[in-house]
Amino acid sequence: MPALAVPPFARQTGLACEACHTVPPELTPFGRRFKLNGYTLTTRPPLVSDTDEHKKNTLWLSDLPGLGILFQSTYNHYDRAPPDSAVPGAKAQSENLEFPQQFSFIAGGAITDQIGGFLQMTYDQPSGTFGVDNTEIRYVNHTQTNDWVWGVMFNNNPGNQDVWNSVAAYPTLDFSNQSLWSAGGAGGAGLSSPFFEGLGGLTAGPTAYVWYKDSLYLGASIYHAAVSGSVTSTIDSTNLGVGGGVVEGWAPYWRAAYERDWGYNSASIGLSGMYSKFTPSLVAGQTVDPGYVNRYLDIAYDWQYQYIGQNNIFSFLGRYTHENADYAPGLVPTFYSNSTNHLDEWNLTATYFRNRHYGALVNFVRTTGTADALVYGGNGSPGNQYEVLELDYLPWLNFRFIVQYNIYNVVKNNQNPFILLNATNPKASNNNTFDIGLWMDF
Amino acid sequence: MRSPAVTSLIVAAIVLASTAVHDAQAAAVVPPDPSALNTKQLVSNACSKCHGFNGISISPLFPNLAGQIPGYIETELKLFRQRGRSDPHARAFMWGIARALTDEQIKGLAQYFSSQPAAKGSGSSNPALADRGKVLYENGTPERDIEACTVCHGHSGEGVNTQPRIAGQHRDYFVLEMQQFRSGLRENKVMQHVSEKLTDDEIAALVEYISTK
Repeated sequence: MPALAVPPFARQTGLACEACHTVPPELTPFGRRFKLNGYTLTTRPPLVSDTDEHKKNTLWLSDLPGLGILFQSTYNHYDRAPPDSAVPGAKAQSENLEFPQQFSFIAGGAITDQIGGFLQMTYDQPSGTFGVDNTEIRYVNHTQTNDWVWGVMFNNNPGNQDVWNSVAAYPTLDFSNQSLWSAGGAGGAGLSSPFFEGLGGLTAGPTAYVWYKDSLYLGASIYHAAVSGSVTSTIDSTNLGVGGGVVEGWAPYWRAAYERDWGYNSASIGLSGMYSKFTPSLVAGQTVDPGYVNRYLDIAYDWQYQYIGQNNIFSFLGRYTHENADYAPGLVPTFYSNSTNHLDEWNLTATYFRNRHYGALVNFVRTTGTADALVYGGNGSPGNQYEVLELDYLPWLNFRFIVQYNIYNVVKNNQNPFILLNATNPKASNNNTFDIGLWMDF
Repeated sequence: MRSPAVTSLIVAAIVLASTAVHDAQAAAVVPPDPSALNTKQLVSNACSKCHGFNGISISPLFPNLAGQIPGYIETELKLFRQRGRSDPHARAFMWGIARALTDEQIKGLAQYFSSQPAAKGSGSSNPALADRGKVLYENGTPERDIEACTVCHGHSGEGVNTQPRIAGQHRDYFVLEMQQFRSGLRENKVMQHVSEKLTDDEIAALVEYISTK
């Protein structure tokens, strides 16, 4: 679940949601600066404070812990009832009510005057699990004129530190719970997507960044395997559950972005990338050593335009990602048809909100790449295309209703029986889904 | 075997972290208690994010403060602090920002922003409209009981006593405030009295004129 608007930040600053968000989770220029400055802006006097003999502050605790709750619930209706998962020819129910779908306990805000953090525990109804979600701690400092802001941080989700909403770790879509039958949703097992978008909760690492004159951002990170819930002190076969795997060594991630603001407008262009060595878990009992290491290089180009007016808000976000995957020679051709595959993804989103009460959103995603029957099944094409159409109503800024229709044009190039169990007539449009959703935080 | 690129990244991160920690120690006398921050720290940490470090804002959602009358800034900040001004932006932004400010901090901020060079006006693209605005600004409309703006805002919009400077203000912000006075969203008896008698065309003429100042 994305961080969205966070009530602890509002309680700490006294600022309403609109200071930091157009409509959550998309950030305004002010929201970007709040995050880049480490969430430390506060207007609450400390309840507990201490200084040393040099008048250096050694403790600052507010009278209010920065706690909050995010809650999300949905009703989904599939255009065509999915096949029963056990009885050939039978069908399951065609709708699904999840109350809640997800909810999170969050803690966020200033820890000291220059350190802030965001910690999230999330219950996920489809998986029935409750565990660590997005987590980060930042140390930030700046010159008095704010010409230079620099920070060092640690997080567990590559890309989640971004402030332009440009990567999958911090999506614009609130309710992008496209529910492909038997596939776990768009971007999940049923749809191909860039490798580096799926490393949240599997990695952790430090980032160092600078932010110059409110316009240029440069950041560099290195991520190590950090398997959530690991039961061993070091990574070994225990961590290699079939279908998963672990990052090998350190994986560098980098990010550059340039923002320009004028009048009601804010525009940015950016580049991000990650080079990962990954030991996939393909057979039960596999070990890291000697291990087979795949190498992934992901490069993403992103852009964003926002118009944040007195009554109207318009945003256009886009991202193009290119991925090269080099597979371990020992795994080809047993598990991979080719020694090298590539993947390209376009992700475009446009949103409009009127007075932050009424809104509409359109999202378009198209994926193409090298055919590999062992990876993607069927004729091997990873080709997907889907759109999300959404209407929003926010009677209060922290209480949002959505109506959403997910349209699937292409799923794995429509060649593979992507409805995996007892499938007949496997058309992409069978996955079209109508959602009614509720999101709130408090 | 760790690659040279990864090693370089680790070293860069450590160097940057060390620099940052060193700087933190140098600046460690900055207390996090918001009521203990001095003017420059307040401007740097909070005000500048919307109003610009020198009081010139980028977005017309936020007013320019550079060159503003200090008494007016003081009055408004105290109103925000006591929640005595309740237009939507006051609630969303300034109620929170001003809630812990001390009288001393408010005075310091007022002095700081009033001493910054004010934004300059620009030439009008519609001189005829600006001329209409000039007449209205300087003379009012006595037959409709509308006073001349000069009485409170000065001959060139520079402000008088504790009445605000309006020269150099964002056009959109000016129009929004006039609309909010008129609708009662922003409470001010004098401005409500004036604005409810002004037509939209007259407000457009006034903003066209004052934007040249």
